[in-house]
Amino acid sequence: MTLYNFQSMGTQIPELGLLALGVMLAMISGRGGIDLSGIALANLSGVVAFMIAPMIIAPAVSPVGFLLSFSAIALGVGVIGGAINGMLIGYAGMTPIIVTLGTQLLFTGIAVGVTGGSALQLGYIPVIDDFGNMPLWGVPRTFGVFILIALALAVLLRYTRFGVHLFLMGSNATAARFAGMRVKSILFRTYLLAGVLASIAGIIIAARTSSVKWDYGTSYVLVAILIAVMAGVRPEGGYGRVTCVVLSAIALQLLSSFFNFMQISNFFRDCAWGLMLLLFLANTRVEWSDYVPAILRGRGE
Amino acid sequence: MLKNNNLLLASFVASVAMLGTGAATAQDDKEVVTVVKVTGENWFTRMEEGVTLYGEEHDGIGTRQVGPARADAAQQAAIIEDLISQEVDALAIVPMDPSTLEGVLRRAMGRGIAVITHEADSLQNTQLNLEAFDNAEFGAHFAEDIAECMGHEGQWTSFVGSLGSLTHVQWADGGEEYMAQFPEMELVSPKNESFNDANRAYELAKEILRAYPDIKGFQGGSAIDVIGIGRAVEEAGLEDETCVYGLGLPQDTSAYLESGAVDGIAFWDPKDAGYVMNILADKFLNGEEIKTGDDLGVSGYEDVTVTDGPGEGKIVRGQAWVDVDASNWSDYPF
Repeated sequence: MTLYNFQSMGTQIPELGLLALGVMLAMISGRGGIDLSGIALANLSGVVAFMIAPMIIAPAVSPVGFLLSFSAIALGVGVIGGAINGMLIGYAGMTPIIVTLGTQLLFTGIAVGVTGGSALQLGYIPVIDDFGNMPLWGVPRTFGVFILIALALAVLLRYTRFGVHLFLMGSNATAARFAGMRVKSILFRTYLLAGVLASIAGIIIAARTSSVKWDYGTSYVLVAILIAVMAGVRPEGGYGRVTCVVLSAIALQLLSSFFNFMQISNFFRDCAWGLMLLLFLANTRVEWSDYVPAILRGRGE
Repeated sequence: MLKNNNLLLASFVASVAMLGTGAATAQDDKEVVTVVKVTGENWFTRMEEGVTLYGEEHDGIGTRQVGPARADAAQQAAIIEDLISQEVDALAIVPMDPSTLEGVLRRAMGRGIAVITHEADSLQNTQLNLEAFDNAEFGAHFAEDIAECMGHEGQWTSFVGSLGSLTHVQWADGGEEYMAQFPEMELVSPKNESFNDANRAYELAKEILRAYPDIKGFQGGSAIDVIGIGRAVEEAGLEDETCVYGLGLPQDTSAYLESGAVDGIAFWDPKDAGYVMNILADKFLNGEEIKTGDDLGVSGYEDVTVTDGPGEGKIVRGQAWVDVDASNWSDYPF
């Protein structure tokens, strides 16, 4: 294992990790919360930002300015996309899985429509490429950004009123409403935040691949959910920890790289992911010690 | 929730431990890895035969083929990232989407890994890109067959997978250019988009037969276009009156080749392409230069053309199309 191995894996984690954090937020909010539109919104953010940003600042004039305006527009798209999800789920009271499935198709459709289905190339812009691919003090910059965002999110969930209310609402929405919490507004902000996280993933994808395309990472939907569930986030709502999601994303990347190193078939990987998803789901439901004979449990009745 | 976190922690530790053992396997041979768009598709299964064959026939070089289980550019990029970490000697890549790989391939080259690509003549970060043939010539080749079959007069049309598929458009344009020399040939409703869907191609072909009852020639674009056209022609009972040529795969098209609804197909053999990519990788690692006119010892690549690519790399082209009709489709098991 060399430093490069870890750097290589570090550059692969952020996009998935950010999407998983979005899924975690949606799951914590309860009522079958989930965000399936993450990767579609990430790609759409990249596509829209790519089309508009060069009109503001040409990359040749100021690469840093281009990166900043690119990021700003992408975040804007993330806010709008997240707000659409939030309105439909929070204020219109629609089911999250159906809404985000619908917006996933909507976002993908827009991205295909404006690009005509082909990839848009940023070309080689040193500042953006460095951001996406080159480590700073041995740490991939995108990985650093991911950790910073995770920290900020952890603080937000732990110490702000929004965070505390989110967990309470996820545990029991009815009680939360009668306790006077603004349930609709909390739901709205949760999905808005998930949208912003997705658009940051979109910026990182664009920087890493020097291009934007509508169908990048279509397999990420399932993997992001797996990371969240593996991290112990409760799909019924009310529980989830940012630290665990970060660790879970790293563990999955290590496992995935291990499969590649051992030349294990990629079909087995899909199978393994599915099995793990079920195993971790079961683990939250089943009290395994019930099945262990009392004598092995080491204590009498 | 404590126990669930324990499970996460356990899997975390386990995966780190496994990774440690995984990194210990190294080989003395030169290692050339072919990365394809997706595993399990007939096309790339056939390519793997060529890749494996090269490794078996040559000492001191290990070849293998990998690819994602699903056609996703992100998964392909992840596989390449991990191969760079393993410090293989050369990568032979059939990109899902060339532009998304620029960054990762630049890094591969920066770490001294030879990068060979196939079907990616727009890619900048590659050292050698292999094309089975010149796309305009391939289109002209179909047009030649169609013109011959139609007696150099009448209406004809062309299909493409989509207008975004660069190679398909080049074939259609190449055919059109060739036909320009025959004043009696009339191109109607060119470049119909089938969106790589045989059903859509069938619907389109039916519409065209209705709109132009005298139409004789069809040039297919995507590999399934001829299937859709063939079905429409068969239903109309026009097997003998029409001339249908295009890209196609022998097994998939066999029924229509037998009935005469499709007159001929051509394709490039992925087995040869896989084999030749590994030849190029081997030569590149040995520091040999490829020049125009070189004979790579594989049928269709006996007299290659070498031109400068869009980046630092070079494009190597053969004339490696294989013509198939009712008489010889059974020679190809895919």
